[in-house]
Amino acid sequence: MKNITLPMSKDTARALQLGDMVTVSGLMFTGRSRFHIRAIEENIFPPLDYQAINCFFHVGPVMRDTPDGWEVVSCEPTSSIRFERYGADVVRRFQLRTLIGKTTMGARTAQALQEVGGVYLSKIGLSGNALRDQITKVRQVFFLEELGKTEATWVYEVDHFGPFFVAIDAHGNNYFEQLAADVSRALPGIERDLGIPADYAFTNVNPDSSANM
Amino acid sequence: MILRSTLEEAMYTAMRTASVQMPPDVRAALEQAAKEETDPMARRHLTVSLQNADLARAGKGLVCADTGFPLFFVQAGAHTTVEGGFETIFQAAAAATARATEECFLRPTMVDPLRRSNPGNNLGPGMPKVELTFSGNGDGIRIIAAPKGGGSEIFGTFYNMLFPSDGVAGIKKFVLESIVNSCYAGKICPPAIIGVGVGGTADLCMSMAKKAALLRRVGVRHPDPLVAELEQELLDAARRLGIGPMGSRGINAVLAVNIETAVTHTAALPVAFNAQCLVGRRWTAMITADQNITYTGDVA
Repeated sequence: MKNITLPMSKDTARALQLGDMVTVSGLMFTGRSRFHIRAIEENIFPPLDYQAINCFFHVGPVMRDTPDGWEVVSCEPTSSIRFERYGADVVRRFQLRTLIGKTTMGARTAQALQEVGGVYLSKIGLSGNALRDQITKVRQVFFLEELGKTEATWVYEVDHFGPFFVAIDAHGNNYFEQLAADVSRALPGIERDLGIPADYAFTNVNPDSSANM
Repeated sequence: MILRSTLEEAMYTAMRTASVQMPPDVRAALEQAAKEETDPMARRHLTVSLQNADLARAGKGLVCADTGFPLFFVQAGAHTTVEGGFETIFQAAAAATARATEECFLRPTMVDPLRRSNPGNNLGPGMPKVELTFSGNGDGIRIIAAPKGGGSEIFGTFYNMLFPSDGVAGIKKFVLESIVNSCYAGKICPPAIIGVGVGGTADLCMSMAKKAALLRRVGVRHPDPLVAELEQELLDAARRLGIGPMGSRGINAVLAVNIETAVTHTAALPVAFNAQCLVGRRWTAMITADQNITYTGDVA
């Protein structure tokens, strides 16, 4: 399996294909909804060297404060699709070449990734405990007091972290959108066999919006 | 009389165990699904998840790091008495939740919905959520702790007020569409257990859907043959969608479709959908009146 050194180069990103399984090694930062909203709406974000720390890991880890420093208990990638409102802006602003999360992102973020030469990596199964062991160092934490342990931004050093699979490549293709198109094609036959008429419509008791236009 | 300390201990241990152990029926269903899947990615999603559960069970982490909403389903008998009265159950649930969070068995996830502030202990108005019901003539208490993951709750909740003229076809269409949408890109972490409520009021309908998803042993069909047939039909249909574990190409987007019904208004056909994710977290504690606690991963 291919291991990619972070920060990922444009060339490396553009060579990856949908479905490729990879691990990554190097530095990454974490964030969830609050990171996205604050970075774009309030211009508040951690003062990192985003050229060097260029991988954004969508996660709210379980962290334990110990006398020897912060310890990761488990870290399961969180659903990236809910950040879609800000995804493209965040990718462009920090020129991110690696996003790691769960699920996928939408067309706007895919477009931004294509522009900067980046990919979106999605998780394989639940693996928060194996991922914990691949985090070799918790380097820094930002906004812990304001946001709490789950939404804070952590900076991790990781070694052979993953594997993840390429769910959005650097050319605008999306693994899950292709799969969903196949599901859409299968659906009418399944509905027919369930006895749902092809022209079935739920009873509408609200003003017909098309009639008002 | 059941003591407060006994309740606290049972609720804490059930919640903690739910976070680190996969219920045996859910595990067996996932192992079966792993045998069935042919796509390498679909299989890998499952084998990796089972390995993750093994690590959690061995004390190395959690079944899933999103421990979600802390829920307790509590059932008492006609002769159950509790030290300080039944209100004690709610206080014990809060203490158990705070302790499990402090010890990192629950992630501090509950926040104020408008301020988005996080107290760090998963406590606040409405949480932990405790549902207290009464059944039978006993003097004990049964507690099911269910840390309900965000993915399945956030992306796997739908409600539709249908009408009698929408018919069973409407129920089927709504459930099937909800499965397709919620499983897209693995949002609800499939293979999911799908709970469906039919009938009642809006809140009762959703409550039935939630309990159908969380509290029924995988593979058990509804005792009413009409309902059981609908469950099986929808499960068979879901397996033909071409969606597998974590939204991959496969068969097992859904492990079970569990339907519960309640009588409803003659003008209405309410349908609710609530999903449980692949780890199916729940653990049961049974307390007797003489403070004896037994635990099980089953829900009988």
